[in-house]
Amino acid sequence: MPAKRVIPCLDVKNGRVVKGVQFKELRDLGHPVDLARRYDAEGADELVFLDIAASLENRGTREAWVRDVAHELSIPFTVGGGVSHVQDARSLLRAGADKVAVNTAAALRPALVRELADAFGRQCVVAAVDVKRDAELGWRVFLKGGTEPTERSAVDWIQELSELGAGEILLTSMDRDGTGDGFDIQLLDQVSQLPIPLIASGGAGREIHFLEALEHGADAVLAATLFHEGILPIPRLKAYLAQNDLSVRI
Amino acid sequence: MSAADSITLIDYDAGNLASLEGALDGLGLPYQRAASPDQAAASGPIVLPGVGHFEAAQKSLRERGWWRVLPGLVADGRPLLGICLGLQLLAEGSEESPRASGLGLIPGIVRRLGPGVKVPHMGWSRVHLHHPHPALPDPQGDWLYFVHSYALEPTVDTVYVAEHGRPFAAVEARGNVMGFQPHPEKSGRAGLLLLQSTLAWMGVTAPAPEVPCN
Repeated sequence: MPAKRVIPCLDVKNGRVVKGVQFKELRDLGHPVDLARRYDAEGADELVFLDIAASLENRGTREAWVRDVAHELSIPFTVGGGVSHVQDARSLLRAGADKVAVNTAAALRPALVRELADAFGRQCVVAAVDVKRDAELGWRVFLKGGTEPTERSAVDWIQELSELGAGEILLTSMDRDGTGDGFDIQLLDQVSQLPIPLIASGGAGREIHFLEALEHGADAVLAATLFHEGILPIPRLKAYLAQNDLSVRI
Repeated sequence: MSAADSITLIDYDAGNLASLEGALDGLGLPYQRAASPDQAAASGPIVLPGVGHFEAAQKSLRERGWWRVLPGLVADGRPLLGICLGLQLLAEGSEESPRASGLGLIPGIVRRLGPGVKVPHMGWSRVHLHHPHPALPDPQGDWLYFVHSYALEPTVDTVYVAEHGRPFAAVEARGNVMGFQPHPEKSGRAGLLLLQSTLAWMGVTAPAPEVPCN
């Protein structure tokens, strides 16, 4: 079994890493390369960059920083945001990204996932899925940054993504995101039954939350603020996970 | 090393060189891209990276003239390092493409991983010493990053071994030919040191004694 992975997530806007404060003002955290270097040195296993303002106009900017990150980083990284065609993915992979993440575009046109897997191999395709607890569906899938509900349940959609050729699922609990109350363990219990690697996201506040998620079927854990703010340094988290008998790279 | 020695990176359709070049820059090692053999450095190691499908990569290497000349260069003593699919292409063949042969510079057929484990094998796995080799230290369970569905079985040519469902060859060495199944350029500090040791054994070291990744 490969090691359990710890993944910082970086939101990027116009070539800068940013942090949202109450969804309004964005605080500038630095250039992607500077944060990439820092997390590489701290022992992150992988990085995820989400371009939160992806548009046709800023493609050039994005390719430039992706190329710079690829040159500096000695661990794998994923780039997502506005990937809706094979050609979008090709330009990111050519610039040096290891994987691309798709979300809304895949839900609107599921064949995209198959096209990406056929063109680059499923190991390159991360499907991001945002869900909220729901009386009818268990967990309901939302699109467009969590603003648009669908009629899909998390389990059905992830099953379909797996069959289409996704290599990995980045699953965010919108109920838990930003709360620091811990990952949605019941969600992970449900979804980890499916035969596809799972990155758990949304809710991490303390070390024990990461341990719980990994013990409940997640293959990797993702967080942003905790790592960016230095509240929980990655070396401390990994030492804790190792003490609790999880297989992590130290 | 002699001043003329530079690493030649084979530039073809089945490899992304951005990360590898970043790693070599970080180690301070001289390199050049070569789409065809006439662009290769006059001496020094040749690196064959590779991502994707065995037969497609073989076809691309044929079209660029590399397939024909690589065995001769190796016979002349030129060091050759294959990475990931690059290693698999050095073998005699692969279950991925039964009709296409490999370069046959390392004995064995590349076989699919599994059953009973998730394929592709993707992520960080530990490597252990199988047969000692002067180029490389005992990895003592170092973690390296893998992305692959096929692998060589361990033999007398295997330096490091890893496991995914079954043991497989992580590092191979036969004469002046070496191959890595993991991606050293994606494997953090352990990977950079592996790359550095191997290329030093192949005759290329940084001009300055400082190693930036320390």
